[in-house]
Amino acid sequence: MTTMIRVEGVAKTFVLHNQSGIRLPVLDNVSLVVDAGEAVVLSGPSGAGKSTLLRILYGNYRPSSGRVLVRHGGNLVDLVAAAPRAVLEVRRRTLGWVSQFLRVIPRISTLDLVRDPLLARGVGDAEATRRARDMLARMNLPESLWRLPPQTFSGGEQQRVNIARSLVDPAPVLLLDEPTASLDAVNREVVVGLVNDARANGSAIVGIFHDEAVRSRVATRLIDVTAFTPKGIAA
Amino acid sequence: MSNAALTPHSSLLSTHSPAPLLTADRVTRLYGDRIGCVDVSFSLWPGEVLGVVGESGSGKSTLLRCLSGLDRPTSGSVAFADPAGLIPDIFALDEQRRRGLMRTAWGIVHQNPRDGLRMAVSAGGNIGERLMDRGDRHYGSIREAALEWLARVEIDPARIDDRPSQFSGGMQQRLQIARVLVSGPRLVYMDEPTGGLDVSVQARLLDLLRALVRDLGLAAVIVTHDLAVARLLTDRLMVMRNGRVVEEGLTDQVLDDPQHAYTQLLTASVLAA
Repeated sequence: MTTMIRVEGVAKTFVLHNQSGIRLPVLDNVSLVVDAGEAVVLSGPSGAGKSTLLRILYGNYRPSSGRVLVRHGGNLVDLVAAAPRAVLEVRRRTLGWVSQFLRVIPRISTLDLVRDPLLARGVGDAEATRRARDMLARMNLPESLWRLPPQTFSGGEQQRVNIARSLVDPAPVLLLDEPTASLDAVNREVVVGLVNDARANGSAIVGIFHDEAVRSRVATRLIDVTAFTPKGIAA
Repeated sequence: MSNAALTPHSSLLSTHSPAPLLTADRVTRLYGDRIGCVDVSFSLWPGEVLGVVGESGSGKSTLLRCLSGLDRPTSGSVAFADPAGLIPDIFALDEQRRRGLMRTAWGIVHQNPRDGLRMAVSAGGNIGERLMDRGDRHYGSIREAALEWLARVEIDPARIDDRPSQFSGGMQQRLQIARVLVSGPRLVYMDEPTGGLDVSVQARLLDLLRALVRDLGLAAVIVTHDLAVARLLTDRLMVMRNGRVVEEGLTDQVLDDPQHAYTQLLTASVLAA
């Protein structure tokens, strides 16, 4: 299979300069490979570094050492060494981040928010509208809401708008940060279906899911991050 | 990780634009013994939005004045890729040529709209003046452009003949933005563009700026002390202290995983950014 993510020798220590320079080693010697069509779920107790590792894969946290290679087009790009604008380009085309939180530009309609990623990747106007409408319907969002900006929606509705936007055109590498947290059972099923569809279409997926049932239905492989706990630190 | 849910604003940013639009090389500005800014170097590519953050007195406004041609650096250079050819240092040009560039090639949005507007001239005149600077002479088309830009910055076009002094602070700031953008600059400098405005007015202005930067594919350098503004508007961030850049990187990296003691202090000092 095609390697989409290759992590080599990544370590992360937080240094809190304003708290007497205290050092918090969170991850050490992380090496892993994720292929296209795989769904890796990160497991381990709270505080073990799942979220830190996921953020490192997005280029949001900067590792203290090591490389994070992501296949972007034909190349493996090291997010740690790449220039900021190169990281942005990788995020735009290759890396998708799906969380439970919607933070978008106010005053833009729900339909336009979901159309936006399609248009940004060059999908035609009519096609983008059709796919966005299908997606919103699949997420069980009433059509009466589609013309409104989501700022006034309930938390659960906003979360579904966010997932619709994130998964309407799944990126080749998808990073999922508990996207199903606080969804009701019906919509949780929809998201599980969307994630599995994306994987079947070749996306490489790395995610955090606390819900045991969701995890077992999404994961093709579990990685226990306590394996990356720095020596001498209790997990 | 707020940016994660968004398409990067620099949607026109492309690996096919190999040449930077703006390059600062060791820009230093001293005022006698006092430090303005020291050894600031960076490149800005078309469509990129760079934020400069730091407390007052950190040198960020001095830097902006140097980059935009308002203030000559003590040493260092500012290169600009003009469509007609690369200018290796805008301060090596004669005054007249540099003034010309400042009216057409880039724009400056001042913190206080009174510094960027002509208060005795109508709203339409404020916008039209930039077009006349550029050589436009046709009254009808200038007025048409003014009407279009008023609408674009969400000012009722019926107020085209009112003077800016009759506008609220938020409207004055939007008018200043229209005046700057009407001549089609590729680069815009903004100094605390939302400073001094009510929070609700700020939010509307931020929306507008974000949409304009995105739709027009503008490159911008935005100086602000407000990390939330930086988060919303910028792709990259430079953190300044005592005239020097202490940390730089992608905006979400710098704000979510600050490495320098001073950046950690800044990000820990706000409620939510």
